[in-house]
Amino acid sequence: MIESRTRMPLLRRSHRESGLDLLFLAPTLIVLAVFLLYPLAYGLVLSVHDTQGFDLTSFVGLENYGRAIFGDAVFHQALATTVVFTGAAVVLQTGLGLFLAVLVADVGRGRTLLRFVFFAPFVLASVAVGAVWKYLYAPYFGIVPSVGSALGLNTLTVAPLADAHWALWAIMAAFLWRFAGFNMVVYLNAIQSLPREFYEHAAMEGAGRFERFRHITWPLLWPQTFTLVLLTTIGTLRIFDMVWIMTEGGPSNATETVATDVYVTAFRFLQVGYAQAMAMILLVIILALTVVEYRILDRRAEAVRL
Amino acid sequence: MTRLARPRLSTLLLVLLALVWFYPVAWTLLNAFKSSADIYRAPWDLPWPPVVGNIGEAWSRGQLGVALANSAYVTAMTVAGVLVLAVPGAYSLTRLRPPLRAVLLIVVLAPLIIPTEVLIVPLFSMFRALGLIDSLPGLAVTNVVAYVSFATLILVGSFRTIPRDVTDAAGVDGAGRFDVLLRIVIPLARPGILAVAVLVAVLAWNDFSASLVLLQKPDTFTVQLALTRFSTFYATDQGLTFAGMAIVILPPLLLFLVLQRSLIQGLAAGLVRH
Repeated sequence: MIESRTRMPLLRRSHRESGLDLLFLAPTLIVLAVFLLYPLAYGLVLSVHDTQGFDLTSFVGLENYGRAIFGDAVFHQALATTVVFTGAAVVLQTGLGLFLAVLVADVGRGRTLLRFVFFAPFVLASVAVGAVWKYLYAPYFGIVPSVGSALGLNTLTVAPLADAHWALWAIMAAFLWRFAGFNMVVYLNAIQSLPREFYEHAAMEGAGRFERFRHITWPLLWPQTFTLVLLTTIGTLRIFDMVWIMTEGGPSNATETVATDVYVTAFRFLQVGYAQAMAMILLVIILALTVVEYRILDRRAEAVRL
Repeated sequence: MTRLARPRLSTLLLVLLALVWFYPVAWTLLNAFKSSADIYRAPWDLPWPPVVGNIGEAWSRGQLGVALANSAYVTAMTVAGVLVLAVPGAYSLTRLRPPLRAVLLIVVLAPLIIPTEVLIVPLFSMFRALGLIDSLPGLAVTNVVAYVSFATLILVGSFRTIPRDVTDAAGVDGAGRFDVLLRIVIPLARPGILAVAVLVAVLAWNDFSASLVLLQKPDTFTVQLALTRFSTFYATDQGLTFAGMAIVILPPLLLFLVLQRSLIQGLAAGLVRH
């Protein structure tokens, strides 16, 4: 109301000004057009062509897509792994982040130290984290053999990353270690700005700790949950580096993700057009899941904001 | 009775978790000062007397000096590039009127859901044609593209907290748009801009996917690529590998220790806006 009144007399002038404002955004738009839109368009072109090295040879229409969707068992497995891993990451990271935030928020002293300890892995590179955990999972001197022998068990040769059943979840643990603190920090900041009166009131009415969490903290933190679920989904569907460092997709494709499959197919097998078709399928999945999650989550987040 | 016991239990749990979280880093740093034989023989022992030679050998054999310089160079260029684009861009997005603003906001934020991994093949193709393989500025460009949207998003949130009256008043006094940005918006939004700079620096420093594809000559390797060399080539010398990892891990941890507040607050503030 007030805004529109003060702006009225400026309307005429503002027209020219928004051209000026646009100029400030122009560099970003140009860079995005050249280094994002163009590669995207070229990627689309690549994906419908046969390739020789990195050169296009012949137009093949949707053949590459058909091959990926109907005839490539490794790609199917990679797709399933990526989706399962992402689902698990969303639930576990958000859950653990929230759990840590609630606990840390209650701590009287040492909150900054705890925050540092849990958040620190986030600033480490995925390669460094991957390398550290790869060694942590090593036989003979890794965590399992060390703890095992301390307990008197014969676990010297246990190597989770070499075991097709455990490798993916071993990577998940490293992933959680790296990202849970990030989620914790986002939640913690929000918890600390929640109105104290709600809790005092609920406590007076005799609500227990869990009830207060369920009826106050959880619903009021929905905007954060919304953001974190979306970020984790987008960030995990693309997962490449940690997997690449720790297993390169092995053993026997057990930890192959779409991104590692794309990399291997393009840069090792030099099936460039085909690899790009797989990448485009991944992009479509990211888009679709983002839109679906946004639709579902936004409805509830809106209610909290109002 | 239960009232007293409960918080204690959660504190205990928290301390336990904190130890679990701390363990991998401590383990890596300690192993960096052990000989390979000791790492195998006595994994729980403290490195005493410490084997200092690992660090020096890892530094020279892993060419970590060059790699650190390369990483610092790419990171600095990325931060500069992102700020040069995102600061005026975010300012513009807070000034523009609704229909246009909404459209452009979507255009600028759309890249958030287009990860580098999806475009890595065409990017490689394009960079090869442009002669930008093994080029550190080329890598910086891909980083800038990858992070400019996120930076703009956080900066829009930060600039919105500046009252419109303040910038308008300066405009009425005859200050040009650029002056207002330079003299009023940037100084007032310093904490937000600093947070973005730190965040982008961390992301650029940690980048792996793009550098793996775009950098092939060893003397252009960033720290992250140099680290992969350790876990493959020197896999038999564990002490050396741990020393390499320790050297790579420490700088970001120390930087984070110093800049913790600014990074965390900027992150939280920027994320919750939308």
